[in-house]
Amino acid sequence: MSAEPALEVTDLVVSYDGTTALDRVTLSVRRGQVLALLGPSGSGKSTLLHAVAGFLVPAAGTVRLGGTTVAGDGRPVPPERRDLAMVFQNYALWPHLTALDTVAYPARRSGAGRAHARTEALEILERLRIAGLAGRKPAELSGGEQQRVGLARALARRPSLYLFDEPTAHLDTHVRGVFLAELVARQRDTGAAAVYATHDAEEALGLADQVALLHEGRLLQTGTPQQVYDQPADLFAARLSGPASVITAPDHDGGELLVRPGWARLGGPLKGELRAVWFRGPHSDYLVAGPLGELLIREPGPPQHEIGARVGWSLLRSWPLP
Amino acid sequence: MPRGTPRLLPRLTALVVAFLAVLVVLPLCRLVLVVWQEGRADIAPMAGSDGLRTAVWHTVALAAAVTLAAVPIGVTMALVLRRSDLPGRPFWQVAVLVPVLVPDFVLGYSWTQAYARAGFTDTLLGLRWAGIQGPLGVWLVLVVNAAPLVYLVVAVGLAARTEPDLERAARVSGAGPATTLLTVTLRLALPGVAAAAVLVFVLTLGTFAIPQVLGAPAGFSTVTTRIYANLSLGGDPTSFIEAITLALLLVIVAAVCVAPADALLAPRLRAVRGADTQGIPALPGRRAVRRAEAFGLAGYLFLTVALPLTALVLSSVTRALGLPPTPGNWTLAHFREVLTPRTFQALGRSLGLAVVAATVLVLLGALVAVIERARSGRAAATLITLTLVLPGSTLAVGLLITYGRWLSGTLTLILLAYLAKLWAFAHRPIAGALDRLPPDEMHASRASGARALTAVRTVALRPLAPALLGAWLVCFLSALHEVTMSSLLYGPGTETFAVVVLNSQELGRIGPTAALSVVLSLLVTVPAVLLFLAVGRLRPRPSRPPEHLPLEVARVG
Repeated sequence: MSAEPALEVTDLVVSYDGTTALDRVTLSVRRGQVLALLGPSGSGKSTLLHAVAGFLVPAAGTVRLGGTTVAGDGRPVPPERRDLAMVFQNYALWPHLTALDTVAYPARRSGAGRAHARTEALEILERLRIAGLAGRKPAELSGGEQQRVGLARALARRPSLYLFDEPTAHLDTHVRGVFLAELVARQRDTGAAAVYATHDAEEALGLADQVALLHEGRLLQTGTPQQVYDQPADLFAARLSGPASVITAPDHDGGELLVRPGWARLGGPLKGELRAVWFRGPHSDYLVAGPLGELLIREPGPPQHEIGARVGWSLLRSWPLP
Repeated sequence: MPRGTPRLLPRLTALVVAFLAVLVVLPLCRLVLVVWQEGRADIAPMAGSDGLRTAVWHTVALAAAVTLAAVPIGVTMALVLRRSDLPGRPFWQVAVLVPVLVPDFVLGYSWTQAYARAGFTDTLLGLRWAGIQGPLGVWLVLVVNAAPLVYLVVAVGLAARTEPDLERAARVSGAGPATTLLTVTLRLALPGVAAAAVLVFVLTLGTFAIPQVLGAPAGFSTVTTRIYANLSLGGDPTSFIEAITLALLLVIVAAVCVAPADALLAPRLRAVRGADTQGIPALPGRRAVRRAEAFGLAGYLFLTVALPLTALVLSSVTRALGLPPTPGNWTLAHFREVLTPRTFQALGRSLGLAVVAATVLVLLGALVAVIERARSGRAAATLITLTLVLPGSTLAVGLLITYGRWLSGTLTLILLAYLAKLWAFAHRPIAGALDRLPPDEMHASRASGARALTAVRTVALRPLAPALLGAWLVCFLSALHEVTMSSLLYGPGTETFAVVVLNSQELGRIGPTAALSVVLSLLVTVPAVLLFLAVGRLRPRPSRPPEHLPLEVARVG
């Protein structure tokens, strides 16, 4: 085991006919770590994953995998010789192969015989509790099942780095959580590193060791989920990483404060009027308008006040925006 | 989807069935009947005759050989042209279609001008190739002519079925480029490749002009050329019966060869979903490889298309056979000689026929596309798709013996033949476009307060326009190209322009024939290019699958 990071991207630039899709992006992922790439669609998440996988050639910068330069230094290493596996947003299952043969595919490519590759594939399917689907083709599988097969195929590659390109984007909400737990558990079992692209802040904060915020091809901020949530670099980063209200600072210095929904409480010296109330199940969200601006306050339980009610509130904490 | 009023649809279906009966079913029944009644005594000895057996054997062997060669070439073209980093890609995408735009017998004739004795390479370099007039030449030109067809079918299939992520998934699973091509790309393209193979095989069975121009002079006969010889040269009843028997035999051979293939393929092909026909390369390739591919494509097109067509143009302006085609020997005499009032009349007839046929065919095609959306119309639509298998010679003979009593030698009979032969060609692109029209767009229009017809006019017509125009163009061009049926059906004063060119080729008047061929090619190419551009401009938003010029563009003969 070397101390080299599993993935190291330095000053990466990618451009598609004239437009810059990635602009000097630098980041690294240590072994066993999960890095979430959080950004809106079109921010360059997929482009970054594609550059790491070797699907496109960067205009400048380097990509290093486990200390080996795979792009940016001489001829780029083709994807099949990079030590990584990928799970795709649209599953990318081959319509002509059964689940078993799909999962056996990576082993076959690394030289295993058909029987051996299939045995191994069946083990992986069993581990994911979908061995019963081994004989089915993608058209006969639900979205969640397809993505499990996609995950099994990636696991079969036994890579040092997993690339997850919004793997839950097309899944129904109730399948999503189960699949995500499975994915993280399996990836952690292997001890490999992972890059997880998503536009869902909750997903990113919940599963990652590090979060990188992307906007229009630029890296806005990198940090632990808590750093990114509590101390966003700017308003855009704040909005990207979760619900956020911006109010004028109460101490009259004219600055702006970021307030997350849990950072304020109903009841207190500050005055406001309830503009809207949403019952969310475990908690309720209150939109409070006052002299400092509008902010969202989250309280456990069902709604306690009517819209239009005058309420008092207090600020527990805040983060000054630059 | 527009459902039509409940009473309208059965009427439209009845109309389609009536047309189908007049154009196809009756003539075919009449063929069977005539062979049964009049030919019983004559058929046994005839079926044993060497000439007939040779013709059938030649036809089947030729179709198989052309399919075997054209499919790999067309698949290679599709794979190469899929690469967006291919140098000069937009140019090549159009250039590979030239053999389809130029009438096949003009292409065949241009090869003789390029490579035969006293041809272009002979005059300039002393290189000549005697085999061009014979089976080998027929085979080569048919392959060149069929390859773009395979390319079109396979390219559409590739674009619709191979999302780039499928190939990326293979690469990232450890497969190299070659393994990915074999295990994923080609595997997914297989239904398209098989469909293209069936199409080429069937069209080659019924092909007439190239065997006639390149094979007949060397004594190489096929079923179609034998029918032509029987009807136009032999005047006796025996040759007439033989022609009818051959016509029937041809369609039986086609049906026997195609039925199993079609049964296997049809369900899979129907499931093809629309997609960006451009296809996106999954991965960047090496520039040197791309350059080599472009080079190979250029070389292929130069030898098979550019050089022959150049030779054709040069021989149309060169004073006499065997003179070097240098400006000193140039003359417009051949053009002056051939552009007589009679030629212009034929030209006018051809254009008129083509315009009328194309317009009626678009209506008929749209009609079938609409009725097949209801269960009652589906059988009729299937029958029309099956007419793709009908060789032109069979249709022409059938129409001749059914309606010849009243219509022999008239333009009406030729028009009926065009309608029967091209109906499926008009139907398929329109039906395809209708299938791809998202039903929710029509639902949204109706939910916004539009009546059925208003919804069609305001919402559906615009996205369908490229398909309608494309279908019109295909029919128009095919009608202008058509010689297989026209050469059997024309009478005094009803020659189409293509027939004039073919007859001139048979008389062996090289300069004038070349001049006529050039005129015909221009006649076909200019409207084709103009309409192609129009179709391109009408293409709605980029997200919608572009209407590729429908598959079976030209080889109707």
